[in-house]
Amino acid sequence: MYDEIREAFDQVHATEQMKQSVSDYLVEKRRKTANHSLRFRMRSLIPVCALLLICIGIGNWYFWEMPVSYVSVDVNPSIELTLNRRNRVTDAKSRNRDGARVLEHVQLEGKDYLEAVELLVESDAMQPYLTADAELTVTVASMKAEELLSGLENSVVATHYHGMCRSADMETVASAHDHDMSLGKYQMYQLLSQYGSGLTAEDCQNISMCQLRELLSQYEAGREEAVSSNELENMQVGCSHGGQQHHHHGSGHHSE
Amino acid sequence: MRSEQEVEQAIDLYSDMIRRICLLHLNSHEDTEDVLQEVFLKYVLHSAVFESREHEKAWLIRVTINACKDLKRKLFRHSTVPLEVLSEEAASVMPEQMGILEIVLSLPVKYKEAIYLHYYEGYTAKEIGTMLHKKENTVYSLLSRGRELLKQKLGGDRNV
Repeated sequence: MYDEIREAFDQVHATEQMKQSVSDYLVEKRRKTANHSLRFRMRSLIPVCALLLICIGIGNWYFWEMPVSYVSVDVNPSIELTLNRRNRVTDAKSRNRDGARVLEHVQLEGKDYLEAVELLVESDAMQPYLTADAELTVTVASMKAEELLSGLENSVVATHYHGMCRSADMETVASAHDHDMSLGKYQMYQLLSQYGSGLTAEDCQNISMCQLRELLSQYEAGREEAVSSNELENMQVGCSHGGQQHHHHGSGHHSE
Repeated sequence: MRSEQEVEQAIDLYSDMIRRICLLHLNSHEDTEDVLQEVFLKYVLHSAVFESREHEKAWLIRVTINACKDLKRKLFRHSTVPLEVLSEEAASVMPEQMGILEIVLSLPVKYKEAIYLHYYEGYTAKEIGTMLHKKENTVYSLLSRGRELLKQKLGGDRNV
């Protein structure tokens, strides 16, 4: 009986068609699994690539748009321009009341720095301040200050208005901003402080550049006493703003 | 995942055994093909290493029995094997053995399963118990009762 059962089952075999169907099924399954895992891998790569592109985009944007240079234009209006790596204005800030009044009438963001400075200086809002005794001072703080100053010295700032073009180091920018002053005026305040003028940063904010320049000339000529309160009041009246416009005839220069 | 070569080898080696186990449980070639596909897919995806051929064979028997039971549950098929399925084997099975096959396959699944594993595959009651998650004594009972039934069906004069 044992042998008979064995012999009977021995004659039952899987057909070739069954074996072939299993092989075909497994090949198809392997192909689908491979495709699926490839698709899965590709899908999982999408967010990584997107993140990478975003990072590259942000990095690239930041590289080109981050503030790298500062240009301050001081007459009495004090205006400071922030430039990106392409020397384009990314921000224009007034550093006193007169500056705010001028900026209301000019749009500088996005413009090349030279175009922006010329537009600012030649604007109708700025013209009343550019009197005969006004001291137009343009101060540059940048890693490429020489390049920017060279452009400014060949612009109307020097050729027509005979403004003074100066450079300042980048550390001065942070100190000036801490005192809410433009770069040019802060440099003047530093010089006057060294002479013992007794002027505070707040005092300087309300004194025009021509008055500060005049005071500096006095100290350079040997003055020793500090600025009195009466003198300060007179200085805060300012130069002859609003008077008839006269242009300087000196030559542009810059100092460290 | 196992290599294609390894799987092809297993198909050659174990397809007949799986076909025989399917015969104990299922009614049609289509269902047998479904089980063959499922069992070998599980084999492909089974990452554990088998200790020996015997271990591999026992694993395949257990997976095949479970696959057959799952399929039957899914299809609400009757567990008895209609004799039509055997007619497909008629061309390859000798007439005298066809009779034996019919009698074995007409037994309830629990008996024919134990009889097949013991008499054809040569497993002991203990091994069958491990494979089917049954106690050894239960397997002895199944074999004894299965033999009784076979005797009755064969006319009671044969020594099983």
